[in-house]
Amino acid sequence: MTTAVIDQTGGRIDDAAPAPGRRVRGFAWIGLLPFLLFLFVFLLLPTYGVARKAFIGADHSFTWTGMSDAVTKERPAFVQSLKISLVSALLGVVFGTLLAYAAATATRPKWLRSLVSAFSGVAANMGGVVLAFAFFTLLGRQGLGTKILTTGGVDLYKSSWFDITGFWGIATVYLYFQIPLMFLVTLPAIDGLKVSWREASSNLGGTTWTYWRRVGLPVLAPSMLGGFLLLFANAFSAFATAYALNTRFNVVPVKISFYLQGDIAGRSPLPFALATWMVIIMAVAMGGYLLLRRRAERWRS
Amino acid sequence: MGASIVEEVLAPSPPPILVGSSPRRRWIARLGPNLVLFACAVFFVAPLLSMARFTLQNVPVIRLGWSTLFDKWTFRALTKAFDDPLFWPTLKLSLKLAVGTIVVSLGLLIPTALYVNLRLPRARGLVEFLTLLPYVVPPIALVAGVAAFFRPNAKWYLNSDYALVPLYVVMALPFTYRSIDAGIRAIDLRTLVDASRSLGAGWGTTLRRILLPNLSASIVSATFLTATVVLGEFTMAATLAKTTFPVFSYQYFGREAQGGIGLALLTLVGSTALLGIFTLFTRRKARKRTARA
Repeated sequence: MTTAVIDQTGGRIDDAAPAPGRRVRGFAWIGLLPFLLFLFVFLLLPTYGVARKAFIGADHSFTWTGMSDAVTKERPAFVQSLKISLVSALLGVVFGTLLAYAAATATRPKWLRSLVSAFSGVAANMGGVVLAFAFFTLLGRQGLGTKILTTGGVDLYKSSWFDITGFWGIATVYLYFQIPLMFLVTLPAIDGLKVSWREASSNLGGTTWTYWRRVGLPVLAPSMLGGFLLLFANAFSAFATAYALNTRFNVVPVKISFYLQGDIAGRSPLPFALATWMVIIMAVAMGGYLLLRRRAERWRS
Repeated sequence: MGASIVEEVLAPSPPPILVGSSPRRRWIARLGPNLVLFACAVFFVAPLLSMARFTLQNVPVIRLGWSTLFDKWTFRALTKAFDDPLFWPTLKLSLKLAVGTIVVSLGLLIPTALYVNLRLPRARGLVEFLTLLPYVVPPIALVAGVAAFFRPNAKWYLNSDYALVPLYVVMALPFTYRSIDAGIRAIDLRTLVDASRSLGAGWGTTLRRILLPNLSASIVSATFLTATVVLGEFTMAATLAKTTFPVFSYQYFGREAQGGIGLALLTLVGSTALLGIFTLFTRRKARKRTARA
């Protein structure tokens, strides 16, 4: 199979097929050995270690009880994990797409777009202790933002629905890396919306609304859906941010850490069953993302 | 979280979509997007500013007002944190881990990516797929597995502080490999190698004098991303009870909130400075190359 890939930066054509006269022989695979061996030891064996502890009972026989126990015992953690991942992914998709559209169509100032892109690259990788602390100082009970909002007439802590260590607080903090990630994922798709499509739509008598409903959103749909899955996976696996804000926040990653610390000998299958569930959920979400990304690339030319 | 799932290459800017022709109508059409940009600017800058103020100003938020706005700005919380006996050892450990991770990553991935592109193009899909696997096994699951598998089989490995290096290499793998592979695809690899070899250069010379200089931009970007990830990684270090700099910051926050947040600010400023230095470095390098051409 010959696939010619046009590189985005250089525009050079890179021929993926081996040059004629160079047959790939079986032993050529030996060159990959260090890489494969490394992944085997530091990725595959640990994953195997998790699955083994989750599926092998005390009597050394295969059992499903560890996995089913994890779901029944830790149902609240799963529910909370799903809820915060869904909410932060949904909000991230909406605001990330809006931000990408706003930055992609802005004409002035010229440096705006590259500034937002560069910042998104940094912020999407942020998280953990630094991010948690920053939001403590902003939206904590004694936070600067809380005070400014109170002065402006909005008391965040008056009714009990908001707390920086609670669901909506942590969801807000997650948005700090979810929105930039969505921005990075969806910007190429928004760039792919051609001006001529819009002109064609209005020449045929379509309004802005018709354009978005019949052309814009259907073209963006695969990358938005893919982005949603990516953001979902991202929030589902986030540990350090939630833990630094609230060590008792009831989500799956924090629970895994809690059981690991409490059980040094590693006799209980519970944390490992939770971790296995997590890997399964991540595999489904990431697989869906990769499939949708392939679909989304169809419109880019 | 650390290494997040950033993997889209940014495309060059297209012509903007303009709605309406008169300045007035354009202004109205831009109202929504500009509001979005403004709201995002506030949301993304405010936490950083409030963190800086919390560290550098010794005035509690309750007593903060227009009259006390310029009172008691000081670096004392930070300098006090520097004097903590754990500050330098943990910072040194984190820096060593960063260097180790970068060396192992580059040493493993540059040869692999070159080999795949030169000799085994049909393995490209497989290798790319393998480099995405760390996304499926999040740090907390990976570290649980490492503890479960290595504790009975190789306890000496877990006892070493450097046990974190290969785990960080795995965590950084998706973007380090992507960055190096993109660099290789942007050059005419086979022609360069064939030219160098036919002029009598060995593989070592070809790598040192031809390939590495041509790949320097992507190597630098992989290096920077790896460094920031390692300097901020908390999950695996805390679970394996290794007191790295982020773990120390977190513990110090429990004792001295102001100083702990100062350390987080320091991490952020340090990473941003790294980014700035590398950007300057790559830009100068690129300019030099265009000047020579």
